[in-house]
Amino acid sequence: MLVTLAWRNLWRQKRRTILTASALALALLLSLLMRCVQEGSYTANIENAARLSTGLIQLQHPEFAESQSIDDLLPGDDKFIEFANHHHNLQYVMPRIESFALAAAGDKSKGVMVLGVDPDKEAQYSGLSDKLISGSYLQADDQQVLIAEGLADHLGLKLGEQVILYGQGYRGQTAAGLYTIKGILHFPMPQLNNQLIYLPLQLAQELYSTDSLVTAWVLHSEELSLLEETVNDLKAFYGEKVNVRDWQDLSPDMAQQILIDRASGLFLMYLLYGIVGFALFATLLMMVLERQREFAVMLATGLLRIKLLKLIAIESTFIGLLGICLGLLLSFPILTWLFFNPIQLTGDTAQLMLEMGYDPIIPVLLDPWLFLHQVVVVLGLLALCLIYPMWRLYRMDLVSALKGGAHAA
Amino acid sequence: MTIKITQLCKTYNQDTDFPVHAVDHLDLEIAQGEFVAVMGPSGSGKTTLLNMLGGIDSPTSGKVCIDDKNIIELQEKDRIAYRRDNIGFIFQDYSLLPVLTALENVEFVMQLQGHSEAECRQRATDLLIKVGLADHLHKVPAKLSGGQQQRVAVARALAPSPKFVMADEPTANLDAKSTAELLDIMQQLNEQEGTTFIFSTHDPRVIGRAKRVIVFEDGKKTDDKQIEQKHSGEIKQ
Repeated sequence: MLVTLAWRNLWRQKRRTILTASALALALLLSLLMRCVQEGSYTANIENAARLSTGLIQLQHPEFAESQSIDDLLPGDDKFIEFANHHHNLQYVMPRIESFALAAAGDKSKGVMVLGVDPDKEAQYSGLSDKLISGSYLQADDQQVLIAEGLADHLGLKLGEQVILYGQGYRGQTAAGLYTIKGILHFPMPQLNNQLIYLPLQLAQELYSTDSLVTAWVLHSEELSLLEETVNDLKAFYGEKVNVRDWQDLSPDMAQQILIDRASGLFLMYLLYGIVGFALFATLLMMVLERQREFAVMLATGLLRIKLLKLIAIESTFIGLLGICLGLLLSFPILTWLFFNPIQLTGDTAQLMLEMGYDPIIPVLLDPWLFLHQVVVVLGLLALCLIYPMWRLYRMDLVSALKGGAHAA
Repeated sequence: MTIKITQLCKTYNQDTDFPVHAVDHLDLEIAQGEFVAVMGPSGSGKTTLLNMLGGIDSPTSGKVCIDDKNIIELQEKDRIAYRRDNIGFIFQDYSLLPVLTALENVEFVMQLQGHSEAECRQRATDLLIKVGLADHLHKVPAKLSGGQQQRVAVARALAPSPKFVMADEPTANLDAKSTAELLDIMQQLNEQEGTTFIFSTHDPRVIGRAKRVIVFEDGKKTDDKQIEQKHSGEIKQ
């Protein structure tokens, strides 16, 4: 009977109920839209940044993160990486040599980052071959290198000319080699464009005398949401002999930037809910104050106070659920449409994004957790708004309330 | 079952220089089956007395014993349960739940007692038929006249089979015809089922039907007389 009573009570003030539920629905729609776009952008940024440089996960020697030394290496053989190769979440598994060297040509030299990669896998994963602006792409057994455009300009090098790489190899050995430039790459980000040299993995291993060892295994999970589980599996398997680093560890600046941006987004979301919360609070308070006489009669005729509180809780929950259902009904089709038909950016912004290797779109993430979060926030807001009206009801003086309720609490 | 009131006091503004004695050292005994009217001018303390008899209000001092059980000493939860099972209330403004039908309003109080749905439905229907509302079972209060609403209130008060029914000026908002019909119903229920009715009223139509009239003034009982029954009406359906 309490549920029936609560449901019917809700429609005593139809307009108020609909307005309150609509305010909740609108807040949920806007918040969800904002959060899905925000999280969609983060996901796209993380994926793109990972593909451009670090990967989502790297396996490294435990000391490498600190030392960045060519002495702290991992095995590069199939046996070592067998677990990762067969892990169901992992889409790409690639060995890399990543070190520093002095690049010189004529009377010019510059400190550069040398990347030894598996050319085929790297082309698939990061689209490295698409960044070629002249020359041709690497083959696995090439004795030639690819050089970034900015670096080539700095050293005054052209296609087919030679560059000297000089540095420290494995266990103090000298790393030195003279390589012909097979292709020139263009990277939109200056810090990459001015310092990258790509070698086939085998050539890089020869340069640094690492034999079959590598500085890192770069891994990529099928979905970002699978990352945590994958990292945990890898950590459990490799133990302390291998440092399993995720993108947050590998790109702390980006992780922090996303964290701050997400925090400001959440702040805005809670601000919006806060404003709607006042409307909800007013409704719930009115719902209690205007019916004190009625509640007093119910108490007088034998309804326990706890059941009265329950009645109000049920009525409030109905309003909350109405708002949630309405909000989800509105937002789900919109977000689904945006997920499959993201807003396309045009003009200079689109061009800039394309150059940086990003799709010129505003991506949307459809994640059940985002929906669930909104539901929890609305229910939490409801619970918060209920505290005071419930307290008033709990403290309601029966005699005063029977007289009309003006001084009932 | 008897209500025995001993030295009952209710004082408002007790800590001020002008305390108001709504009920002042009252001793009273009401036996099962009585049809009592408590009369007096506005502000004489009638409603306060009824509220204390029904366990709604607490006295400043004194006892309200129902079968030697002082209901004042009960915890709120127990007092509500006691009220639910033993005392029915009829209010001046009917105070029906506006979203429930006549039948549901009556069923509601029985459900609070834990009766089954079928039991509630059966007794509520019987009571509403008894008070002449057979054709209005499924109407919400807004669709009923004042007299009809008060009849639903009577049925509601009687639904849990209470020992006492407290009626606070039940006819104040009713016209002469409705008042007469309502009093007929209550009188007949009093005679047939032995339910004790205690009215607070200054309506001469009610006082004229009472078997006992207690006169109240400034919180004190100034008269208490048994009246010979002159009329027992028939319930008009």
